[in-house]
Amino acid sequence: MNILIIGASGGLANILTGLLHQSHPHAHITGVDSRPLKNDIHNPNFTFRKMRYTRSQFEKLFREKRFDYVYHLGRMSHVGGSNQQDIIKRLNLNLIGTNKILELSLQFGVKKIIVLSTHHVYGALSDNPVYLKEDAPLRASIKYPELRDVTEMDSLCTNWMWRFKDKISTVIFRPCNIIGPQINNSISQYLRSDYSPLPIDFNPMFQFIHELDMATILKRAIDDIDTGVYNVAPEQTVSLAKAKELVGSSHIDFPISLVSPLAFVLKKFWSFPDYLLDYIKHSCIIDGNALRRQIPDHHYRYTIDESLKLINL
Amino acid sequence: MIKLTNEDKLNIEKVAQTLKKHYGDHEDPWGLTIDKAQRSLELIYPFYKYYFQTRVFGVENVADKQYMVVSNHSGQIAIDGLLIGTAFAMEVDHPRILRAMVERFFTNLPFINKWASECGAVLGDRENCQNLLERGESLLVFPEGVRGVAKSTPDYYNVQEFTRGFYRMALKSNIEIIPVAVIGAEETFPYVYQAKWLAKKLGLPALPISANYLPLPSPVDIYIGKPIRVANDLSTLDTDHDIDPYIDEIEVTIQSMIDEGLKNRREMPLVNLIKGRKS
Repeated sequence: MNILIIGASGGLANILTGLLHQSHPHAHITGVDSRPLKNDIHNPNFTFRKMRYTRSQFEKLFREKRFDYVYHLGRMSHVGGSNQQDIIKRLNLNLIGTNKILELSLQFGVKKIIVLSTHHVYGALSDNPVYLKEDAPLRASIKYPELRDVTEMDSLCTNWMWRFKDKISTVIFRPCNIIGPQINNSISQYLRSDYSPLPIDFNPMFQFIHELDMATILKRAIDDIDTGVYNVAPEQTVSLAKAKELVGSSHIDFPISLVSPLAFVLKKFWSFPDYLLDYIKHSCIIDGNALRRQIPDHHYRYTIDESLKLINL
Repeated sequence: MIKLTNEDKLNIEKVAQTLKKHYGDHEDPWGLTIDKAQRSLELIYPFYKYYFQTRVFGVENVADKQYMVVSNHSGQIAIDGLLIGTAFAMEVDHPRILRAMVERFFTNLPFINKWASECGAVLGDRENCQNLLERGESLLVFPEGVRGVAKSTPDYYNVQEFTRGFYRMALKSNIEIIPVAVIGAEETFPYVYQAKWLAKKLGLPALPISANYLPLPSPVDIYIGKPIRVANDLSTLDTDHDIDPYIDEIEVTIQSMIDEGLKNRREMPLVNLIKGRKS
Protein backbone atom coordinates (compact mmCIF):
# COMPACT_ATOMS: atom_id res chain seq x y z
CA MET A 1 0.00 0.00 0.00
CA ASN A 2 1.33 3.44 -0.99
CA ILE A 3 0.22 6.50 0.93
CA LEU A 4 0.99 10.14 0.15
CA ILE A 5 0.75 12.81 2.84
CA ILE A 6 0.77 16.36 1.50
CA GLY A 7 1.71 18.92 4.13
CA ALA A 8 3.86 16.32 5.88
CA SER A 9 5.88 18.86 7.78
CA GLY A 10 2.99 19.84 10.05
CA GLY A 11 2.41 18.47 13.55
CA LEU A 12 -0.80 16.67 12.62
CA ALA A 13 0.85 14.92 9.67
CA ASN A 14 3.65 13.85 11.98
CA ILE A 15 1.20 12.11 14.34
CA LEU A 16 -0.76 10.64 11.44
CA THR A 17 2.42 9.10 9.99
CA GLY A 18 3.07 7.36 13.31
CA LEU A 19 -0.49 6.06 13.56
CA LEU A 20 -0.49 4.81 9.95
CA HIS A 21 2.75 2.99 10.59
CA GLN A 22 1.13 1.21 13.56
CA SER A 23 -2.07 0.26 11.72
CA HIS A 24 -0.50 -0.45 8.34
CA PRO A 25 3.12 -1.47 9.14
CA HIS A 26 3.90 -2.51 5.55
CA ALA A 27 2.55 0.63 3.94
CA HIS A 28 5.02 2.92 2.17
CA ILE A 29 4.38 6.48 3.22
CA THR A 30 5.67 9.45 1.23
CA GLY A 31 5.57 12.85 2.87
CA VAL A 32 5.62 16.02 0.78
CA ASP A 33 5.84 19.62 1.91
CA SER A 34 7.18 22.92 0.63
CA ARG A 35 8.65 23.42 4.10
CA PRO A 36 11.45 21.25 5.53
CA LEU A 37 10.50 18.35 7.82
CA LYS A 38 10.40 19.62 11.41
CA ASN A 39 10.77 16.35 13.31
CA ASP A 40 12.68 13.25 12.28
CA ILE A 41 10.44 10.30 11.59
CA HIS A 42 12.07 6.98 12.40
CA ASN A 43 10.22 4.73 10.03
CA PRO A 44 12.05 2.80 7.30
CA ASN A 45 8.89 2.91 5.18
CA PHE A 46 8.70 6.72 5.28
CA THR A 47 10.35 9.05 2.81
CA PHE A 48 10.14 12.84 2.77
CA ARG A 49 10.37 15.08 -0.29
CA LYS A 50 10.54 18.85 -0.08
CA MET A 51 8.71 20.26 -3.09
CA ARG A 52 5.85 22.48 -4.24
CA TYR A 53 2.60 20.78 -5.23
CA THR A 54 2.31 22.64 -8.50
CA ARG A 55 5.67 21.69 -9.96
CA SER A 56 6.28 18.97 -12.56
CA GLN A 57 8.31 16.88 -10.12
CA PHE A 58 5.11 16.48 -8.12
CA GLU A 59 3.47 14.84 -11.13
CA LYS A 60 6.55 12.64 -11.51
CA LEU A 61 6.08 11.49 -7.93
CA PHE A 62 2.50 10.39 -8.66
CA ARG A 63 3.63 8.61 -11.82
CA GLU A 64 6.41 6.70 -10.09
CA LYS A 65 4.75 5.82 -6.77
CA ARG A 66 1.18 4.99 -7.89
CA PHE A 67 -0.36 6.00 -4.57
CA ASP A 68 -3.40 4.17 -3.23
CA TYR A 69 -4.35 6.84 -0.70
CA VAL A 70 -3.64 10.56 -0.63
CA TYR A 71 -3.96 12.83 2.39
CA HIS A 72 -4.19 16.52 1.56
CA LEU A 73 -3.25 18.26 4.81
CA GLY A 74 -1.34 21.00 3.02
CA ARG A 75 -3.77 23.93 3.18
CA MET A 76 -1.79 27.09 3.78
CA SER A 77 -3.08 28.71 6.94
CA HIS A 78 -3.63 32.37 7.78
CA VAL A 79 -0.88 32.48 10.39
CA GLY A 80 1.61 34.06 7.97
CA GLY A 81 0.01 37.38 7.15
CA SER A 82 -2.87 39.17 5.51
CA ASN A 83 -1.44 41.60 2.99
CA GLN A 84 -2.37 41.36 -0.66
CA GLN A 85 0.69 39.26 -1.56
CA ASP A 86 -0.03 36.76 1.23
CA ILE A 87 -3.61 36.44 0.04
CA ILE A 88 -2.53 35.84 -3.56
CA LYS A 89 0.04 33.28 -2.40
CA ARG A 90 -2.59 31.48 -0.33
CA LEU A 91 -5.11 31.51 -3.17
CA ASN A 92 -2.51 30.08 -5.54
CA LEU A 93 -1.39 27.32 -3.23
CA ASN A 94 -4.77 26.43 -1.78
CA LEU A 95 -6.70 26.50 -5.04
CA ILE A 96 -4.27 25.77 -7.86
CA GLY A 97 -2.33 23.34 -5.66
CA THR A 98 -5.47 21.51 -4.55
CA ASN A 99 -6.78 21.30 -8.10
CA LYS A 100 -3.50 19.77 -9.20
CA ILE A 101 -3.62 17.21 -6.37
CA LEU A 102 -7.18 16.21 -7.28
CA GLU A 103 -6.39 15.91 -11.00
CA LEU A 104 -3.27 13.82 -10.41
CA SER A 105 -5.14 11.57 -7.96
CA LEU A 106 -7.78 10.85 -10.57
CA GLN A 107 -5.27 10.46 -13.38
CA PHE A 108 -3.07 7.98 -11.52
CA GLY A 109 -5.78 5.77 -10.06
CA VAL A 110 -5.72 6.83 -6.38
CA LYS A 111 -8.42 4.87 -4.49
CA LYS A 112 -9.23 7.51 -1.92
CA ILE A 113 -8.28 11.11 -1.27
CA ILE A 114 -8.74 12.58 2.20
CA VAL A 115 -8.86 16.37 2.43
CA LEU A 116 -8.47 18.39 5.60
CA SER A 117 -10.63 21.51 5.31
CA THR A 118 -11.80 23.53 8.31
CA HIS A 119 -14.96 24.57 10.16
CA HIS A 120 -13.94 28.16 9.39
CA VAL A 121 -15.64 27.73 5.99
CA TYR A 122 -19.01 28.35 7.68
CA GLY A 123 -17.85 31.72 8.99
CA ALA A 124 -18.15 33.22 12.46
CA LEU A 125 -21.40 35.12 12.10
CA SER A 126 -23.85 36.48 14.64
CA ASP A 127 -26.75 34.57 13.07
CA ASN A 128 -25.08 31.15 13.02
CA PRO A 129 -27.39 28.47 14.40
CA VAL A 130 -26.10 25.91 16.86
CA TYR A 131 -25.33 23.39 15.29
CA LEU A 132 -24.08 23.88 11.73
CA LYS A 133 -24.54 20.77 9.63
CA GLU A 134 -22.46 19.87 6.58
CA ASP A 135 -25.09 21.25 4.19
CA ALA A 136 -24.99 24.74 5.75
CA PRO A 137 -23.88 27.48 3.35
CA LEU A 138 -20.18 28.36 3.42
CA ARG A 139 -20.41 32.01 4.44
CA ALA A 140 -16.87 32.73 5.65
CA SER A 141 -16.01 34.97 2.73
CA ILE A 142 -19.25 36.97 2.67
CA LYS A 143 -17.96 39.57 5.10
CA TYR A 144 -14.23 39.11 4.56
CA PRO A 145 -13.05 38.31 1.01
CA GLU A 146 -9.65 37.46 2.54
CA LEU A 147 -11.17 34.12 3.54
CA ARG A 148 -12.25 33.12 0.05
CA ASP A 149 -9.33 30.70 -0.35
CA VAL A 150 -10.73 28.72 2.59
CA THR A 151 -14.26 28.42 1.20
CA GLU A 152 -13.23 28.02 -2.43
CA MET A 153 -10.82 25.21 -1.65
CA ASP A 154 -13.55 23.38 0.22
CA SER A 155 -16.08 23.98 -2.57
CA LEU A 156 -13.57 22.83 -5.17
CA CYS A 157 -13.09 19.53 -3.32
CA THR A 158 -16.81 19.05 -2.67
CA ASN A 159 -17.72 19.62 -6.33
CA TRP A 160 -14.94 17.27 -7.28
CA MET A 161 -16.18 14.65 -4.85
CA TRP A 162 -19.67 14.52 -6.41
CA ARG A 163 -18.43 14.78 -9.98
CA PHE A 164 -16.08 11.81 -9.76
CA LYS A 165 -17.67 9.79 -6.97
CA ASP A 166 -17.82 6.70 -9.22
CA LYS A 167 -14.12 6.87 -10.03
CA ILE A 168 -12.46 7.97 -6.79
CA SER A 169 -13.55 8.05 -3.17
CA THR A 170 -13.18 11.48 -1.54
CA VAL A 171 -13.50 12.29 2.15
CA ILE A 172 -13.53 15.93 3.22
CA PHE A 173 -13.14 16.77 6.90
CA ARG A 174 -14.19 20.10 8.37
CA PRO A 175 -12.78 19.84 11.88
CA CYS A 176 -13.34 22.26 14.72
CA ASN A 177 -10.25 23.88 16.24
CA ILE A 178 -7.41 21.35 16.35
CA ILE A 179 -5.13 21.89 19.32
CA GLY A 180 -2.23 20.09 20.88
CA PRO A 181 1.45 20.41 21.71
CA GLN A 182 2.47 19.87 18.07
CA ILE A 183 -0.07 22.22 16.53
CA ASN A 184 0.78 25.86 15.93
CA ASN A 185 -2.31 27.27 14.22
CA SER A 186 -3.85 30.70 14.93
CA ILE A 187 -6.11 29.52 17.76
CA SER A 188 -3.28 27.61 19.47
CA GLN A 189 -1.09 30.71 19.36
CA TYR A 190 -3.99 32.76 20.70
CA LEU A 191 -4.65 30.37 23.57
CA ARG A 192 -0.99 30.03 24.54
CA SER A 193 -0.18 33.74 24.46
CA ASP A 194 -0.20 35.70 27.71
CA TYR A 195 -0.91 38.87 25.76
CA SER A 196 -3.88 37.78 23.69
CA PRO A 197 -6.97 40.00 23.91
CA LEU A 198 -10.07 38.48 25.48
CA PRO A 199 -13.39 40.15 24.62
CA ILE A 200 -15.37 41.45 27.59
CA ASP A 201 -18.46 42.18 25.50
CA PHE A 202 -18.80 38.80 23.76
CA ASN A 203 -18.04 35.26 24.91
CA PRO A 204 -18.44 32.87 21.98
CA MET A 205 -18.64 29.11 22.40
CA PHE A 206 -15.87 26.95 20.94
CA GLN A 207 -15.20 23.32 20.10
CA PHE A 208 -11.72 21.83 20.30
CA ILE A 209 -10.32 18.50 19.20
CA HIS A 210 -7.00 17.14 20.41
CA GLU A 211 -4.38 16.52 17.70
CA LEU A 212 -4.22 12.80 18.50
CA ASP A 213 -8.00 12.40 18.16
CA MET A 214 -7.94 14.24 14.83
CA ALA A 215 -5.02 12.14 13.57
CA THR A 216 -6.90 8.97 14.62
CA ILE A 217 -9.94 10.02 12.59
CA LEU A 218 -7.72 10.79 9.59
CA LYS A 219 -6.17 7.35 9.91
CA ARG A 220 -9.59 5.67 10.04
CA ALA A 221 -10.69 7.47 6.89
CA ILE A 222 -8.77 4.90 4.81
CA ASP A 223 -10.86 1.91 5.83
CA ASP A 224 -13.93 3.08 7.73
CA ILE A 225 -15.27 6.34 6.30
CA ASP A 226 -17.31 6.58 3.10
CA THR A 227 -17.16 9.32 0.48
CA GLY A 228 -18.63 12.51 1.90
CA VAL A 229 -18.15 15.75 3.78
CA TYR A 230 -17.89 15.45 7.54
CA ASN A 231 -17.74 17.96 10.36
CA VAL A 232 -15.39 16.77 13.07
CA ALA A 233 -16.16 17.88 16.63
CA PRO A 234 -16.74 16.30 20.00
CA GLU A 235 -20.10 17.02 21.63
CA GLN A 236 -18.61 19.13 24.40
CA THR A 237 -18.31 22.90 23.96
CA VAL A 238 -16.57 25.59 25.99
CA SER A 239 -16.65 29.38 26.03
CA LEU A 240 -13.58 31.31 24.93
CA ALA A 241 -13.08 32.80 28.40
CA LYS A 242 -13.24 29.34 30.01
CA ALA A 243 -10.83 27.95 27.38
CA LYS A 244 -8.24 30.61 28.24
CA GLU A 245 -8.73 29.81 31.91
CA LEU A 246 -8.20 26.09 31.31
CA VAL A 247 -5.02 26.70 29.28
CA GLY A 248 -3.76 28.82 32.15
CA SER A 249 -2.45 31.71 30.09
CA SER A 250 -3.04 35.37 30.89
CA HIS A 251 -4.99 37.73 28.70
CA ILE A 252 -5.83 41.37 28.17
CA ASP A 253 -9.51 42.25 28.61
CA PHE A 254 -10.85 44.43 25.83
CA PRO A 255 -14.18 45.35 24.19
CA ILE A 256 -14.03 43.74 20.76
CA SER A 257 -16.88 45.93 19.50
CA LEU A 258 -14.51 48.91 19.79
CA VAL A 259 -11.49 47.10 18.39
CA SER A 260 -13.21 45.91 15.19
CA PRO A 261 -13.64 49.44 13.71
CA LEU A 262 -10.14 50.35 14.91
CA ALA A 263 -8.69 47.27 13.20
CA PHE A 264 -10.40 48.31 9.96
CA VAL A 265 -8.49 51.60 10.06
CA LEU A 266 -5.22 50.01 11.23
CA LYS A 267 -5.37 47.56 8.37
CA LYS A 268 -4.68 50.37 5.91
CA PHE A 269 -1.24 50.91 7.45
CA TRP A 270 -0.40 47.57 8.93
CA SER A 271 -1.01 44.02 7.72
CA PHE A 272 -3.50 43.00 10.38
CA PRO A 273 -5.84 40.00 9.98
CA ASP A 274 -8.96 41.84 11.23
CA TYR A 275 -11.20 39.16 9.69
CA LEU A 276 -10.03 36.73 12.36
CA LEU A 277 -11.50 38.96 15.09
CA ASP A 278 -14.99 37.69 14.31
CA TYR A 279 -13.84 34.20 15.30
CA ILE A 280 -13.37 35.43 18.88
CA LYS A 281 -16.67 37.31 18.76
CA HIS A 282 -19.27 34.92 17.36
CA SER A 283 -19.70 31.17 17.75
CA CYS A 284 -19.31 28.66 14.95
CA ILE A 285 -20.52 25.41 16.49
CA ILE A 286 -20.66 22.42 14.17
CA ASP A 287 -22.64 19.19 14.25
CA GLY A 288 -20.39 16.13 14.22
CA ASN A 289 -23.15 13.51 14.07
CA ALA A 290 -22.64 12.47 10.44
CA LEU A 291 -19.11 11.33 11.25
CA ARG A 292 -20.25 9.67 14.50
CA ARG A 293 -22.65 7.56 12.43
CA GLN A 294 -19.74 6.47 10.17
CA ILE A 295 -17.50 5.39 13.06
CA PRO A 296 -19.87 4.68 15.97
CA ASP A 297 -17.17 2.82 17.89
CA HIS A 298 -14.87 5.85 17.92
CA HIS A 299 -14.49 7.61 21.24
CA TYR A 300 -12.59 10.84 21.68
CA ARG A 301 -9.62 10.07 23.87
CA TYR A 302 -9.34 13.60 25.25
CA THR A 303 -12.10 15.77 26.69
CA ILE A 304 -12.05 19.46 25.81
CA ASP A 305 -10.76 20.27 29.30
CA GLU A 306 -7.89 17.78 28.92
CA SER A 307 -7.03 18.99 25.41
CA LEU A 308 -6.81 22.58 26.60
CA LYS A 309 -4.75 21.73 29.67
CA LEU A 310 -2.32 19.73 27.52
CA ILE A 311 -1.79 22.43 24.89
CA ASN A 312 1.47 23.69 26.45
CA LEU A 313 3.15 20.32 26.91
CA MET B 1 -31.19 49.68 44.83
CA ILE B 2 -33.76 47.00 45.63
CA LYS B 3 -32.23 44.19 47.67
CA LEU B 4 -33.06 40.53 48.07
CA THR B 5 -34.34 39.23 51.41
CA ASN B 6 -32.69 36.18 52.95
CA GLU B 7 -35.75 34.14 51.99
CA ASP B 8 -35.43 35.28 48.36
CA LYS B 9 -31.75 34.33 48.36
CA LEU B 10 -32.58 30.87 49.72
CA ASN B 11 -35.29 30.36 47.10
CA ILE B 12 -32.95 31.35 44.27
CA GLU B 13 -30.24 29.05 45.61
CA LYS B 14 -32.75 26.18 45.78
CA VAL B 15 -33.87 26.80 42.22
CA ALA B 16 -30.24 27.04 41.00
CA GLN B 17 -29.45 23.68 42.60
CA THR B 18 -32.44 22.08 40.87
CA LEU B 19 -31.41 23.63 37.55
CA LYS B 20 -27.84 22.41 37.96
CA LYS B 21 -29.10 18.84 38.31
CA HIS B 22 -30.74 19.22 34.92
CA TYR B 23 -28.19 21.35 33.06
CA GLY B 24 -24.95 20.44 34.83
CA ASP B 25 -22.10 22.78 35.74
CA HIS B 26 -20.81 23.24 32.19
CA GLU B 27 -21.77 25.87 29.67
CA ASP B 28 -24.15 24.46 27.10
CA PRO B 29 -23.41 24.90 23.36
CA TRP B 30 -25.57 28.05 23.27
CA GLY B 31 -23.65 29.59 26.18
CA LEU B 32 -26.09 28.99 29.05
CA THR B 33 -24.25 28.75 32.36
CA ILE B 34 -26.32 28.10 35.46
CA ASP B 35 -23.90 29.91 37.79
CA LYS B 36 -24.09 33.04 35.66
CA ALA B 37 -27.85 32.64 35.22
CA GLN B 38 -28.16 32.44 39.01
CA ARG B 39 -26.20 35.69 39.43
CA SER B 40 -28.49 37.37 36.89
CA LEU B 41 -31.55 35.99 38.65
CA GLU B 42 -30.31 37.55 41.88
CA LEU B 43 -30.25 40.92 40.09
CA ILE B 44 -33.54 40.53 38.23
CA TYR B 45 -35.63 38.97 41.00
CA PRO B 46 -35.87 42.11 43.19
CA PHE B 47 -37.22 44.01 40.17
CA TYR B 48 -39.55 41.13 39.35
CA LYS B 49 -40.90 40.91 42.89
CA TYR B 50 -40.73 44.42 44.32
CA TYR B 51 -40.48 46.86 41.42
CA PHE B 52 -42.95 45.23 39.00
CA GLN B 53 -44.75 43.35 41.82
CA THR B 54 -45.23 40.46 39.42
CA ARG B 55 -48.15 38.09 40.02
CA VAL B 56 -48.38 34.78 38.21
CA PHE B 57 -51.67 32.98 37.54
CA GLY B 58 -52.06 29.46 36.17
CA VAL B 59 -48.84 27.82 37.43
CA GLU B 60 -50.89 24.63 37.87
CA ASN B 61 -51.02 24.39 34.05
CA VAL B 62 -47.27 23.71 33.87
CA ALA B 63 -46.29 20.06 34.25
CA ASP B 64 -42.80 18.56 34.41
CA LYS B 65 -42.44 18.37 30.63
CA GLN B 66 -41.18 20.26 27.63
CA TYR B 67 -43.28 23.15 26.28
CA MET B 68 -43.21 25.92 23.77
CA VAL B 69 -44.36 29.00 25.67
CA VAL B 70 -46.02 31.51 23.34
CA SER B 71 -46.72 35.00 24.64
CA ASN B 72 -47.85 38.45 23.62
CA HIS B 73 -44.93 40.86 23.40
CA SER B 74 -44.92 44.23 25.11
CA GLY B 75 -42.87 46.80 26.99
CA GLN B 76 -40.64 48.33 24.25
CA ILE B 77 -37.43 46.76 25.64
CA ALA B 78 -38.84 43.25 26.06
CA ILE B 79 -39.07 43.33 29.85
CA ASP B 80 -41.82 40.74 29.47
CA GLY B 81 -39.27 38.13 28.36
CA LEU B 82 -37.24 38.63 31.53
CA LEU B 83 -40.34 38.44 33.73
CA ILE B 84 -41.78 35.32 32.06
CA GLY B 85 -38.35 33.65 32.27
CA THR B 86 -38.11 34.52 35.97
CA ALA B 87 -41.64 33.22 36.59
CA PHE B 88 -40.88 29.86 34.96
CA ALA B 89 -37.67 29.56 37.00
CA MET B 90 -39.03 30.74 40.34
CA GLU B 91 -42.78 30.14 40.49
CA VAL B 92 -43.59 26.85 38.77
CA ASP B 93 -43.24 23.51 40.53
CA HIS B 94 -40.66 22.26 38.08
CA PRO B 95 -38.21 25.13 37.56
CA ARG B 96 -36.75 25.49 34.10
CA ILE B 97 -34.79 27.90 31.97
CA LEU B 98 -37.04 29.02 29.15
CA ARG B 99 -34.88 29.46 26.07
CA ALA B 100 -36.07 32.84 24.80
CA MET B 101 -35.85 33.33 21.05
CA VAL B 102 -34.24 36.66 20.23
CA GLU B 103 -34.14 38.73 17.05
CA ARG B 104 -31.09 38.57 14.78
CA PHE B 105 -29.98 42.15 15.50
CA PHE B 106 -29.85 41.25 19.22
CA THR B 107 -27.03 38.73 18.74
CA ASN B 108 -24.76 41.52 17.52
CA LEU B 109 -25.22 43.71 20.59
CA PRO B 110 -22.08 43.82 22.75
CA PHE B 111 -22.49 42.91 26.44
CA ILE B 112 -26.27 42.37 26.08
CA ASN B 113 -25.86 39.35 23.81
CA LYS B 114 -23.19 37.91 26.11
CA TRP B 115 -25.37 38.32 29.18
CA ALA B 116 -28.53 37.05 27.45
CA SER B 117 -26.75 33.95 26.10
CA GLU B 118 -25.37 33.09 29.52
CA CYS B 119 -28.94 33.31 30.86
CA GLY B 120 -30.33 31.01 28.16
CA ALA B 121 -31.48 33.29 25.32
CA VAL B 122 -30.82 32.00 21.81
CA LEU B 123 -31.00 33.25 18.24
CA GLY B 124 -34.53 32.89 16.89
CA ASP B 125 -33.45 30.75 13.97
CA ARG B 126 -35.60 27.77 13.07
CA GLU B 127 -32.73 25.29 12.94
CA ASN B 128 -31.36 26.60 16.22
CA CYS B 129 -34.76 26.17 17.89
CA GLN B 130 -35.24 22.72 16.42
CA ASN B 131 -31.90 21.64 17.87
CA LEU B 132 -32.95 22.95 21.29
CA LEU B 133 -36.28 21.12 21.09
CA GLU B 134 -34.46 17.89 20.21
CA ARG B 135 -32.47 18.31 23.43
CA GLY B 136 -35.69 18.55 25.45
CA GLU B 137 -35.50 22.31 26.12
CA SER B 138 -38.56 24.52 26.58
CA LEU B 139 -38.76 27.60 24.38
CA LEU B 140 -40.16 31.07 24.91
CA VAL B 141 -41.47 32.50 21.66
CA PHE B 142 -42.98 35.88 20.81
CA PRO B 143 -44.58 35.28 17.42
CA GLU B 144 -45.46 38.98 17.08
CA GLY B 145 -41.72 39.70 16.85
CA VAL B 146 -40.60 43.34 16.84
CA ARG B 147 -44.13 44.41 15.82
CA GLY B 148 -45.35 43.27 19.22
CA VAL B 149 -42.78 44.92 21.40
CA ALA B 150 -42.46 48.13 19.41
CA LYS B 151 -46.01 49.46 19.46
CA SER B 152 -47.30 53.01 19.77
CA THR B 153 -49.63 53.72 22.72
CA PRO B 154 -52.94 53.35 20.78
CA ASP B 155 -51.98 49.76 19.85
CA TYR B 156 -51.26 48.61 23.41
CA TYR B 157 -52.82 45.23 24.28
CA ASN B 158 -53.81 44.54 20.68
CA VAL B 159 -52.08 41.33 19.71
CA GLN B 160 -50.27 41.85 16.39
CA GLU B 161 -50.38 39.24 13.64
CA PHE B 162 -48.39 36.10 14.54
CA THR B 163 -45.67 34.75 12.28
CA ARG B 164 -46.03 31.04 11.44
CA GLY B 165 -42.57 29.64 12.19
CA PHE B 166 -43.31 28.73 15.81
CA TYR B 167 -46.26 26.53 14.88
CA ARG B 168 -44.31 24.66 12.23
CA MET B 169 -41.56 24.02 14.80
CA ALA B 170 -44.12 22.80 17.33
CA LEU B 171 -45.61 20.53 14.66
CA LYS B 172 -42.24 19.05 13.80
CA SER B 173 -41.43 18.34 17.46
CA ASN B 174 -45.01 17.49 18.42
CA ILE B 175 -44.66 19.72 21.45
CA GLU B 176 -47.48 21.31 23.44
CA ILE B 177 -47.91 25.09 23.31
CA ILE B 178 -48.58 27.07 26.48
CA PRO B 179 -50.27 30.42 25.79
CA VAL B 180 -49.17 33.26 28.05
CA ALA B 181 -50.60 36.77 28.43
CA VAL B 182 -48.64 39.57 30.07
CA ILE B 183 -50.56 42.51 31.51
CA GLY B 184 -48.88 45.64 32.80
CA ALA B 185 -45.64 45.66 30.80
CA GLU B 186 -47.13 48.07 28.22
CA GLU B 187 -47.53 50.74 30.95
CA THR B 188 -43.82 50.65 31.82
CA PHE B 189 -43.56 53.03 28.84
CA PRO B 190 -47.03 54.65 28.90
CA TYR B 191 -46.64 57.19 26.08
CA VAL B 192 -44.77 55.99 23.04
CA TYR B 193 -44.71 56.96 19.39
CA GLN B 194 -42.87 54.56 17.09
CA ALA B 195 -40.92 56.53 14.48
CA LYS B 196 -41.04 53.68 11.96
CA TRP B 197 -39.90 55.80 8.98
CA LEU B 198 -36.81 57.01 10.87
CA ALA B 199 -36.03 53.50 12.17
CA LYS B 200 -36.12 52.24 8.59
CA LYS B 201 -33.76 55.01 7.43
CA LEU B 202 -31.33 54.24 10.26
CA GLY B 203 -31.58 50.48 9.73
CA LEU B 204 -32.99 49.88 13.22
CA PRO B 205 -35.74 47.37 14.01
CA ALA B 206 -37.65 50.06 15.98
CA LEU B 207 -37.22 53.60 17.25
CA PRO B 208 -39.54 54.47 20.12
CA ILE B 209 -39.99 58.13 21.01
CA SER B 210 -41.15 57.92 24.59
CA ALA B 211 -42.01 60.19 27.51
CA ASN B 212 -39.64 58.06 29.63
CA TYR B 213 -36.65 55.91 28.73
CA LEU B 214 -36.47 53.93 31.97
CA PRO B 215 -39.34 51.53 32.66
CA LEU B 216 -41.90 52.81 35.18
CA PRO B 217 -42.90 50.51 38.08
CA SER B 218 -46.08 49.19 36.51
CA PRO B 219 -47.43 46.08 38.31
CA VAL B 220 -47.23 43.09 35.97
CA ASP B 221 -49.54 40.07 35.84
CA ILE B 222 -48.55 36.91 33.95
CA TYR B 223 -51.38 34.56 32.97
CA ILE B 224 -50.36 31.03 32.04
CA GLY B 225 -53.04 29.29 29.97
CA LYS B 226 -53.79 25.61 29.51
CA PRO B 227 -51.47 23.69 27.17
CA ILE B 228 -52.62 23.43 23.55
CA ARG B 229 -51.82 20.32 21.55
CA VAL B 230 -50.73 20.84 17.96
CA ALA B 231 -53.10 19.53 15.29
CA ASN B 232 -52.72 15.79 14.71
CA ASP B 233 -53.82 16.02 11.10
CA LEU B 234 -51.19 18.58 10.07
CA SER B 235 -47.58 18.22 9.05
CA THR B 236 -44.80 20.76 8.54
CA LEU B 237 -45.28 20.36 4.80
CA ASP B 238 -48.86 21.67 4.90
CA THR B 239 -49.58 25.05 3.38
CA ASP B 240 -49.96 28.33 5.27
CA HIS B 241 -53.66 28.18 4.37
CA ASP B 242 -53.98 24.88 6.29
CA ILE B 243 -51.97 26.05 9.30
CA ASP B 244 -53.33 29.58 9.67
CA PRO B 245 -56.62 28.64 11.43
CA TYR B 246 -54.65 26.95 14.25
CA ILE B 247 -52.35 29.96 14.61
CA ASP B 248 -55.38 32.28 14.62
CA GLU B 249 -56.88 30.19 17.41
CA ILE B 250 -53.77 30.69 19.58
CA GLU B 251 -53.76 34.41 18.74
CA VAL B 252 -57.42 34.68 19.77
CA THR B 253 -56.77 32.68 22.97
CA ILE B 254 -53.99 35.05 24.03
CA GLN B 255 -56.06 38.14 23.10
CA SER B 256 -58.96 36.88 25.22
CA MET B 257 -56.55 36.13 28.11
CA ILE B 258 -55.29 39.73 27.80
CA ASP B 259 -58.84 41.15 27.71
CA GLU B 260 -59.74 39.11 30.77
CA GLY B 261 -56.53 40.07 32.58
CA LEU B 262 -57.07 43.77 31.88
CA LYS B 263 -60.19 43.63 34.06
CA ASN B 264 -57.99 42.89 37.07
CA ARG B 265 -55.16 45.22 36.14
CA ARG B 266 -53.53 47.00 39.03
CA GLU B 267 -52.72 50.70 38.76
CA MET B 268 -49.18 51.95 38.96
CA PRO B 269 -48.16 53.01 42.51
CA LEU B 270 -47.73 56.58 41.24
CA VAL B 271 -51.28 56.60 39.81
CA ASN B 272 -52.62 55.21 43.10
CA LEU B 273 -50.79 57.96 44.94
CA ILE B 274 -52.31 60.69 42.71
CA LYS B 275 -55.76 59.12 42.99
CA GLY B 276 -55.41 58.93 46.79
CA ARG B 277 -54.55 62.64 46.99
CA LYS B 278 -57.51 63.61 44.81
CA SER B 279 -59.91 61.66 46.97
